[in-house]
Amino acid sequence: MAGTIVLEFPSEYKFLNIVDLVTNEVIENLCVEHQAANEIAISVIEACTNAIEHGNRECCDENVRLVFSCKDDRICIEVEDCGKGFDYECFLKNMPDPTDIEHLRGRGIFIMKNMMDSLEFEMQPNKGMKVRLEKTLKPKESGDVQKD
Amino acid sequence: MRLESREIDGVVILDLQGKLMGGPDAEAFKNAIHKLLEKGAKRIVVNLHNVDWINSTGMGILISGYTTMRRSGGDLRLLHVSDKIQSILYVTKLNLIFKCYSDEDEAVASFENG
Repeated sequence: MAGTIVLEFPSEYKFLNIVDLVTNEVIENLCVEHQAANEIAISVIEACTNAIEHGNRECCDENVRLVFSCKDDRICIEVEDCGKGFDYECFLKNMPDPTDIEHLRGRGIFIMKNMMDSLEFEMQPNKGMKVRLEKTLKPKESGDVQKD
Repeated sequence: MRLESREIDGVVILDLQGKLMGGPDAEAFKNAIHKLLEKGAKRIVVNLHNVDWINSTGMGILISGYTTMRRSGGDLRLLHVSDKIQSILYVTKLNLIFKCYSDEDEAVASFENG
């Protein structure tokens, strides 16, 4: 995949369908192996869910910007919201135990951290939070079938 | 998300269709669980066969249903978990909490074994 693909959408859950469609199309074009493809698709949805829910607080006047780019064998995904951000270093240090069923939320960052090679947060002054996800891609092997 | 229920041998099967991702889905699922509890249902199987994907908010919705059922002396189990949903369950270790089945008869029969 040469260049970048950009998708900008209002902060409503229904647009996650479009995010999923675009992500799957990008992944398909990159011929990524099945497990990695699933992990990228899940992580993109998590990042966009956080941007809608926590970043823009479901305000449909605020957009989420999603950027896919690929260099050599590495995919980079950036998700930007318009929110005030949060203390991600503190959150990472005190991340709730994902098996604790008393907590209904707080698993999104844990999922992204474990499914991607790199997860970074950047607070952009006067803009919002940017999340950057990266993963090194392995080519799809013959017989690697998408089951979903 | 669309939600329909049916009953087999005293076990309620909740057939979900679409995406489980928060927003109005949470309220719809919560209401369905509470209505079933009011009717005395204790054994619930959530059929995810037609669920394209789920996010962590959707996982929270399932956890909420699970804890509600367990606190009421019942149980909630999962049927037809896709690769993607399985990946989320594994990475969060929630596969240790949820009992998952790939066959409906097996899921229904599992309640006879506790």
